[in-house]
Amino acid sequence: MADEYSQPQSNHHQPNDRLRLNVGGKLFETTVATIRSGGPDSLLGALSNRLTYDQEPVFIDRDPEIFSVLLSLLRSNRLPSTASRFTKQELADEAVYYGIESHLKSAMSPPPFNGIDASIVNVIQPASDGFTSAFTAGDDGSIWIAHGGQISSYDWNLIHAGSIRTHLENITSIRRVYSEIAAVGSESAAGLHFYDFSNGRNIASIHWTDASDPRIYKAQVTAIADSSSTVFAAFDCPHNENSILAIDKTTLKIQSEFGRQRGSSAKNLVAGKLTWLPQTGVLVGSSVNCGAFGYSGYIRLWDPRSGDVVWDMNEPGSGRSGRFGDSFADVDVDTDELTMFKVCSKSGDLAMADLRNLSEDPWVYLQDKNPSLRNESRGGNSVIHCYRNQVFVGREGGLEVWTTLPNGKKGTEIENNNNGICEDLYRRNFVDKEEDSERGVIEKIEGGGDRLFVSRQNVEGIEVWESSNSSGPVSVL
Amino acid sequence: MPPFALSASSSSSPCGLQQNNKAESNIVTVDVGGQLFQTTKQTLSIAGPNSLFARVSEIPNSTTQFTAPFIDRDPELFSILLSLLRTGNLPSKAKAIDLQDLIFESQFYGIESLLVNSLSNPSQFEAFNLEKSKILSLNGRDSPSAIATTPFGSVHVVHGSKITSFDWSLRKKSTILTQFTAVDSLLAISPSVAAAGATDFSGLQILDLESGFVRETLNWENVTRSSSTVQAIGSSPECLFASFESGRRNSNSIMVYDLQTLYPITEIGHSEIYGAELDSAIPATKLNWVSGSNLLMASGSHSGPSGVLGNIKFWDIRSGNVVWELKEKIDCFSDVTVSDSLSTIFKVGVNSGEVFFADLRNIGSENPWVCLGDGRKMASGKKEGIGCKIECHGNQVFCSKGGNIELWSEVPMRSIKSTGDGSEERIFRKNIMGKVKDMGGSRITNLAFGGNKMCVTRKGQQNVEIWQSSIRGF
Repeated sequence: MADEYSQPQSNHHQPNDRLRLNVGGKLFETTVATIRSGGPDSLLGALSNRLTYDQEPVFIDRDPEIFSVLLSLLRSNRLPSTASRFTKQELADEAVYYGIESHLKSAMSPPPFNGIDASIVNVIQPASDGFTSAFTAGDDGSIWIAHGGQISSYDWNLIHAGSIRTHLENITSIRRVYSEIAAVGSESAAGLHFYDFSNGRNIASIHWTDASDPRIYKAQVTAIADSSSTVFAAFDCPHNENSILAIDKTTLKIQSEFGRQRGSSAKNLVAGKLTWLPQTGVLVGSSVNCGAFGYSGYIRLWDPRSGDVVWDMNEPGSGRSGRFGDSFADVDVDTDELTMFKVCSKSGDLAMADLRNLSEDPWVYLQDKNPSLRNESRGGNSVIHCYRNQVFVGREGGLEVWTTLPNGKKGTEIENNNNGICEDLYRRNFVDKEEDSERGVIEKIEGGGDRLFVSRQNVEGIEVWESSNSSGPVSVL
Repeated sequence: MPPFALSASSSSSPCGLQQNNKAESNIVTVDVGGQLFQTTKQTLSIAGPNSLFARVSEIPNSTTQFTAPFIDRDPELFSILLSLLRTGNLPSKAKAIDLQDLIFESQFYGIESLLVNSLSNPSQFEAFNLEKSKILSLNGRDSPSAIATTPFGSVHVVHGSKITSFDWSLRKKSTILTQFTAVDSLLAISPSVAAAGATDFSGLQILDLESGFVRETLNWENVTRSSSTVQAIGSSPECLFASFESGRRNSNSIMVYDLQTLYPITEIGHSEIYGAELDSAIPATKLNWVSGSNLLMASGSHSGPSGVLGNIKFWDIRSGNVVWELKEKIDCFSDVTVSDSLSTIFKVGVNSGEVFFADLRNIGSENPWVCLGDGRKMASGKKEGIGCKIECHGNQVFCSKGGNIELWSEVPMRSIKSTGDGSEERIFRKNIMGKVKDMGGSRITNLAFGGNKMCVTRKGQQNVEIWQSSIRGF
């Protein structure tokens, strides 16, 4: 212990060396180690190499109050409550100045998203044309919203970072293929278009054409997915022919075409949802069509290298499906766990399939005995989204989450013997409250970072749901 | 890395000169974030041997050159914690600072227990001074079914299949998912461990509330080898009690476990039902430990065509015998509790809806109940007492009726009137808690006490009400 307090005489700094800073006229005293924890590239880190305690404190011409918040952050790795005196924007700007933005990011980010304990924290409202036509969420909790032909970007702090106007009138699919580049498509105008967010320019447009078939033109994009090297887009041509194009991410040129089909029956329609499975190198596409006789659609897995269909399922199928007539209303893939979930259109039941072990009827129907939810299963307007090993289902306006039990078996270990019904695997809970569900029918759910984004039909803005460690007590004195 | 260090400078501060003259001085100087603080070794020693302060005060200050130990933390927060060390209470200027900051800072210095003592001490509980102060809302749509508290005020709430835990300051929360579809009984063993059981799920689970993992599942091996559901959980300082019923509902028992090791110690009150004797078929649905007389009170009731029947038994754990049994045939309890400090049992009659008390000192008497209201309502068939809850805390009795809480307290009288049988007459009086605006509301489903607060849950409300006294309200 004693040597910690002995005085180092060498020229280079010991981490316990003290140093003084004069920020906007206020003196701060701290240690080199604290200042260096901001990282070697930060302004503070660079200063720590030049300062000694003896010399006059270095003067930094910035606001001392925000600095004291950021110094607390460096000392304790958490934001003090005095941070609430400043807007998120001010804190972020100041953190960028001192080069400690990553510290601020980790301190300000919400805790891991937990569907059983989440609440609505914010509604992102674009200034105009607030009805969202499509959106895509980033891994850091940022979001790009397509609305009225514009794309608005909100950063990890959900601060409006900028908007660009595209030539499209109505963007119906959007995908962030690079950190600054969006791929957009519209069901009312032809082609897949790449926009660079940094300068607002259209950098490429892809159209599906066929030299041997002049009828293939003006094809619209219905779904976009991307892998690390390729963008996949489902194109639909007005004369009932559709296909999937693979586009090279670096050259933005068409690589290959596969999955081409024609006709107007439900199993030949264009895919409305595409998901890339990085673990297996398979593209999952699905199409759902709702007509007078109920829902119909397909789920199909392609190997993009060969263009072959790996697995395929139509509903309503032949009699082989365990639940004939209860066709799926939506389907989503958990890319980490390699499982697929569908929600049935009539019964509203949720079913799970293991992507590593797909058979003719791979579905295991999940049941929950939660008495408060007993009469809540109905089909109809349902959307489903898998995120962080949880399954979120929007039924009309209600938002529910299916979570695996803590000591329960893994989904893949379940044997499909009990008539395809499984009880003690997932627990179903409502995420929202009764009054939340009255705001409108849920259109799309997507997770990004530690947030869940929810858009509703004919409602302006996008809801942001987060978990919190703070109990948020309300005083009623 | 040690968070404090000596200055590498030779700059002398004015107070440093005085310090040098008194090598054996009791005064300790600390430099926190550039600001100098002086205090005594005695004050710092209050923080305990494991805290950072103990290490600071050990540093010899008889070095030739004055150097105050440097702690790289916020000086403003330190000054408040120093006041806490000096006086045991937070200074009023602490009100300008968020409690969460102080908690975090006290954890850094290793003195969170002092902060807990000053803000959420059970001795600060003042029944007459409680007012509805906070609402803690729960996410999702499930209403709370059970609630458990620790002595220093952590609160665990079960809603649906989830348990949400609030820390002693009620500022932080965490939620876990359980294997139960609904939890009917919950008991907090520590701020992070709870025992949970349900009337439709086999086994008593010991849950880690931070990770959500089941540490242990305790089961009762019944003769029919069917599942064993949990009807009630209770505890004494050493033991954990669980009332089990077999899944076929034809046998029941109370298991006693060691609270530390969770090994079963003994089994009491095992009963199998063969004939028509209904009384033995009633499992205990409430377990209260009476530490004054080392007895376990187990109570249960059954609603049948002839009305509500019940029994209250006092068990001697060591011998496994019933010391006293009260059969409840007329105006059976809808809820019953026992107060150690008053050595009295209290119940709410299911028919009358009135509060009764029975003195534990005349153990063994035939009809010990004294009605604290209109005794004529005992025979009424109205069942006014259904859903009422009664709990004791300190010297007071809290009884919920609908959406209101009655606070019963004993008035110590100087002149003692003797009743016919020679025992002294005791006087209890009631008050309705809360301001006019707090009264009414949905029916109260749970009452729990911890630290200086009372927690209340209501039917159909996805939140917990916190009632606190406001003397040193933060």
